[in-house]
Amino acid sequence: MSTNRPFDCSQVQPLVLTRRDMLKGAGAGFGYLAFAGLCAEAAAPYQSPLLPKAPHFTPKAKRIIFLAMQGGPSHLDTFDYKPKLITDAGKAGDKGKLVAPVAEFKQRGQSGLWISDAFSKVAEHADDICLLRGMTTDIPNHPQAFVQMHTGSARFVRPSMGAWTLYGLGTENQNLPGFITIAAPVALGGAQNYGSAFLPASFQGTRIDQPAGNASAKPAKGNAAMATEGIGNIRNPRLSEKAQREQLDLVQSMNRDLLTGGANPEVEGVIQSYELAFRMQAEIPKVMDFRKESAATLQSYGIGGGPTEGFGKQCLMARRFAEAGVRFIEVCHQGWDHHNGLKTRLNGSSAAVDQPIAALLADLKRRDMLKDTLVIWGGEFGRTPTNGSADGRGHNAKGYTMWMAGGGVKGGYSHGATDDHGGTAVEDKTHVHDMHATALHLLGLDHEKLTYRYAGRDFRLTDVHGHVAQKVIA
Amino acid sequence: MMNRPATLGACLTIAAAFVVSVSLRAADKLLPSETITPDQLAFFEKRIRPVLAAKCYKCHSAEAEKVKGGLLLDTRDGIRLGGATGHAVEPGDLKGSLLIAALRGEKKDLLMPPKEKLPPEVIADFEKWILMGAPDPRDGKPKLAKKPDASEGKNFWAFQPVQPVSVPKVNDSKWPASDIDRFVLAKLEQNKLKPVADADAHTLIRRLYFDLLGIPPTPAEVDAFVRESHGTHASTRSYEALVDRLLASPQFGERWGRHWLDVARYAESSGKERNYLYTQAWRYRDYVIDAINADKPYDQFIREQVAGDLLPAKNAAERNERLIATGFLAMGPKGFNERNREQFVMDNVDEQIDVTTRAVMAVTVSCARCHDHKFDPISTKDYYAVAGIFKSTDIYYGTGDGAAGKNRQPGKLLPLAKDASFKEVKPASAVPAASTPQAEPEAIKPSLLTPQQEAQLAKLAQGNPKLAERLRSLTPEQKALALARFQGGAGAAKAAKAGKGAKKATRAVESPGERTELGDGERVIMGVLDGRVADCPIYVRGELQEKGPVIPRGFVAVLNPSGSVQQIPASQSGRLELAQWLTSPQNPLTARVMANRVWLHLFGEGIVASADNFGATGDRPTHPELLDFLAGRLVANQWSVKKLVREVVLSRTYRLSAAHDTKNFATDPDNSLYWRANQRRLDAESIRDAVLAVSGRLDLEPPRSSPVTALGDMDIGRNRNAVLKADSRKRSVYLPIVRDMVPDVLDLFDFAEPSLVVANRDVTTVPSQALFMLNSPFIHENSTALAKRVQTAASDDRARITSAYLTALSRPPTPVELARGESYLKKLSAEPGCSPETAWTTFCQAFIASAEFRYIK
Repeated sequence: MSTNRPFDCSQVQPLVLTRRDMLKGAGAGFGYLAFAGLCAEAAAPYQSPLLPKAPHFTPKAKRIIFLAMQGGPSHLDTFDYKPKLITDAGKAGDKGKLVAPVAEFKQRGQSGLWISDAFSKVAEHADDICLLRGMTTDIPNHPQAFVQMHTGSARFVRPSMGAWTLYGLGTENQNLPGFITIAAPVALGGAQNYGSAFLPASFQGTRIDQPAGNASAKPAKGNAAMATEGIGNIRNPRLSEKAQREQLDLVQSMNRDLLTGGANPEVEGVIQSYELAFRMQAEIPKVMDFRKESAATLQSYGIGGGPTEGFGKQCLMARRFAEAGVRFIEVCHQGWDHHNGLKTRLNGSSAAVDQPIAALLADLKRRDMLKDTLVIWGGEFGRTPTNGSADGRGHNAKGYTMWMAGGGVKGGYSHGATDDHGGTAVEDKTHVHDMHATALHLLGLDHEKLTYRYAGRDFRLTDVHGHVAQKVIA
Repeated sequence: MMNRPATLGACLTIAAAFVVSVSLRAADKLLPSETITPDQLAFFEKRIRPVLAAKCYKCHSAEAEKVKGGLLLDTRDGIRLGGATGHAVEPGDLKGSLLIAALRGEKKDLLMPPKEKLPPEVIADFEKWILMGAPDPRDGKPKLAKKPDASEGKNFWAFQPVQPVSVPKVNDSKWPASDIDRFVLAKLEQNKLKPVADADAHTLIRRLYFDLLGIPPTPAEVDAFVRESHGTHASTRSYEALVDRLLASPQFGERWGRHWLDVARYAESSGKERNYLYTQAWRYRDYVIDAINADKPYDQFIREQVAGDLLPAKNAAERNERLIATGFLAMGPKGFNERNREQFVMDNVDEQIDVTTRAVMAVTVSCARCHDHKFDPISTKDYYAVAGIFKSTDIYYGTGDGAAGKNRQPGKLLPLAKDASFKEVKPASAVPAASTPQAEPEAIKPSLLTPQQEAQLAKLAQGNPKLAERLRSLTPEQKALALARFQGGAGAAKAAKAGKGAKKATRAVESPGERTELGDGERVIMGVLDGRVADCPIYVRGELQEKGPVIPRGFVAVLNPSGSVQQIPASQSGRLELAQWLTSPQNPLTARVMANRVWLHLFGEGIVASADNFGATGDRPTHPELLDFLAGRLVANQWSVKKLVREVVLSRTYRLSAAHDTKNFATDPDNSLYWRANQRRLDAESIRDAVLAVSGRLDLEPPRSSPVTALGDMDIGRNRNAVLKADSRKRSVYLPIVRDMVPDVLDLFDFAEPSLVVANRDVTTVPSQALFMLNSPFIHENSTALAKRVQTAASDDRARITSAYLTALSRPPTPVELARGESYLKKLSAEPGCSPETAWTTFCQAFIASAEFRYIK
């Protein structure tokens, strides 16, 4: 019946429920025990598709925090130092005049990585950062490139990187969604960027829009522009917890009536899903509640007013989700499309994210989580060395910078390079497919083996492409 | 270009390894064989072949363990066509021959053989050879490394014609109610299993209602059926009457139409990076529902969707119906941000090939577009022969006029034909009588033009026989478009004076759909018309810059070895012939695929489990003879889907209970032999419709429009103020299906992803579903309504509880359940802040939330 075909039973670890877990929810307790008794007879007992699964090999990273900078942040003014662009500024380049970086570059940390003042706080973590300076993608248009960054394909509807990650690894905390995306754009592919396409729907991302402390979660594919029923299902405004438990006990006793007469993994699944949901609605608000964070922590993220407020909250939420065992967390920051007013606008954008990102890195490190949390920063493409028509920079898919930190990558390291003016990647080129392959590799997944059979073919995140950038691995 | 008739053997050499497994008669031979002089042959054999064999075949031949770069150098076709980076050899052109650049090591990453530059004299030989025209005696098709087993391909079950099957003998002759049962029982007996008892009347009526209508029976209907059935098990007569009543219900089409909409990837927006609304897509949805309700023969249903615009029609209504049917080809996901028109067109062509081959035949052809690893030029040729058909077709989808430059590929809609402007016209010669066996001989085509306009149009083609022929083949819509195109645009008169009229007339008639404005008629139809008819070149590895040879339009013939293959007229796209071929009784897949889907929707599992993949990588049928029996019945009954559904649900196999049996379970735990009924979860629509139905709030009146239409033409992804109303109480099939914005109530319960062809929906069980049942306003509203209903239905709690069971679960409660209900209501009413109404609401909500509500046994 159930068509969860992707699950190789040998890879699925048994559901671990402690005795306390069983007794905590009377329904689950009885249901699970009854079910265990029948297990000998069951051909395929219910297994949540989100249970943790063994990776292909020993992973370096357990989880990913993806900081998506929508719009195409300029690498030339932030992480890709091109002295020749300063000396040649004003000269004619390809389609316009060469524009000097609008922020000053300095060498940072022990490693001496060149990073500009636009990210002066992130730069304090230079020795933990691995710059990917030879990034390339296929299409210099926002919608296609943004979707490709998330799914590998601009042309076809394909599962997102987070969905593939859940498919491959499941998630650690069954009381929380395994894949959360914070402040994802409604346009630019919308739900495609955290969707599951042909993978089972349980692998899609859960979208959270509110940056505030008590944000409400709603299931993926819900649209801010749409009046749907799914919003706010995490809380019941009408019943006390006790009354709802009474109600749930009634539901579960009705469900257990169906367990007589042979194994019934489907109904067992329903019983478990209710217990998980009941715990989830208690847990999610807790994770999203910042009240127990110290004033110093809040301040470090820039929460408390000012341009860092929004992204600071989102980064702190990302840390809290990571800590709670969420496998894949994406935080999106929009507005990096600086065709004009480069200096003002770039500095405005970086001012909103620099401190929060630096605080996130520091916070993860302090909690000894950076070592197994892969932080990825970057946009759908970079920008041109020339100005195009106004005082900004154009789209550039041929060469740009992303960076990774933690999760088993070399810190204080620069991988790949663009040409003298930073327009085109020329050395250790890293295509989006390669970035995906590398991220999966760090999670212990072989991107060529993480396949799903659909329409007669085995599909991958990287399609038929992708090479792991071995040099970036510590 | 030589055309050879299709030969089965030629194709089957590749059949086994690929899902594609098809070949085209017209494209059978890509490159003409060449005359080679003895001297040239000697040169090749002495100087070229040995080097290729020694230095290149290891990675670039059928013998290679892993073919590198998709390049095969062991045949003439392979070496000319090239691999990932382009043509290896262009006869007479050193610059265009990448092989030379590779041998010379001209490019950084491209020295061949790797790390070994061959001696200059060897390179000189290759240059000489290419300059003499690269004479190459190596006929044959480039083959993959793993040689497919021809005999396996030939015998592959799905490509065999559907054969008449004899009904097997069974030992227990009393059990079967029909031949279907004999097929099932024979297998059970072989495995020493016995079917369990029949389902009781309560279970059976609930199962049948959800399977045929997608809504639960009312308590009164249950009661009547149970009484008629005289006891626990349904009597045959009352059951047959019930089946016939449900098949005749308009709700049948709403449920079974939705099954088709899953594979037709029906949606009301473009999806992808810009999400433009398809404001008129709902007409196609209604066409499908109406067609199922009218029991339109399945073959005709397919023909209308693939080539409705090319079929004759008796009147304007029929004409419109058939045009709307072609919306099937028009409503795929589209990338409106694509700058390159040709890329946009080829992406749509790809999508059309994919949906047509998978929805109708459950085989995947579209992977032959690029074939990165499994490079196979023959299947690529197949692909581009079919691609030519769709490339010769214009799509009308009506999105975005390009305002603000956001929609780079705006498109128009087609006009509705009206009876008033209707002039009887002789059938166009374009419809070959032989190719439309089902076509009504009296059929005529309605005209959208006045006789004067017709005359005007005829004048355009005077003195140009080719143009006149093309004009005759135009559909009414195309004629209107052609005239408008000719007359439209600034300076039309000037152009005529300057003698440019002829050129303009030619352009207008050849491709009427481009840049035109229509006069009469409401433009409301999404659909397709033939456009500029042309064959399509191979795009090597799907890259537009890499054009290969032009492939004559054709269609898959290997699956139809004995059937007659229609010639595609030069003036038409070939969709009509494609449609005829798809629905030919000799096509081995079409009937099997549909019969399998009927089985899937009634048993929860197809006889072929991979219902959208009958290819080599798909599953094999568990009951191949039964599948052929059902496919045969479908064709024999004039492709009546209702008759097939009827035959299946009247079987005793369908009527089995879901009872457990230890012995059977030990042998067949998956129930693949059908010793009992499968417990199945309701699909998303049925869950929502059932919630509304039991609360008494389901509005069964079809809307005949969509909230999407009310929003109008826009990119909804970028329009934050747009509110898509998904809160109606109509049946779920009428909810707006906007790509990437599927209503949560459907999305949560594994609705078919509307950007993909989905024959088999997933069934997942996750906490977000539970949260929806516990906390969502939708469930709360309907629980409240259900509570009011049962409270007013009776005055005492026991009767009310009974009413709740009958309404929500189609059965009376047991004494234990009655007691449990009473105790719950008492307990909850004692909670602080809980009124009796609240207690009843939460009680009723528990029914909706229960597994029993969601599963049919």
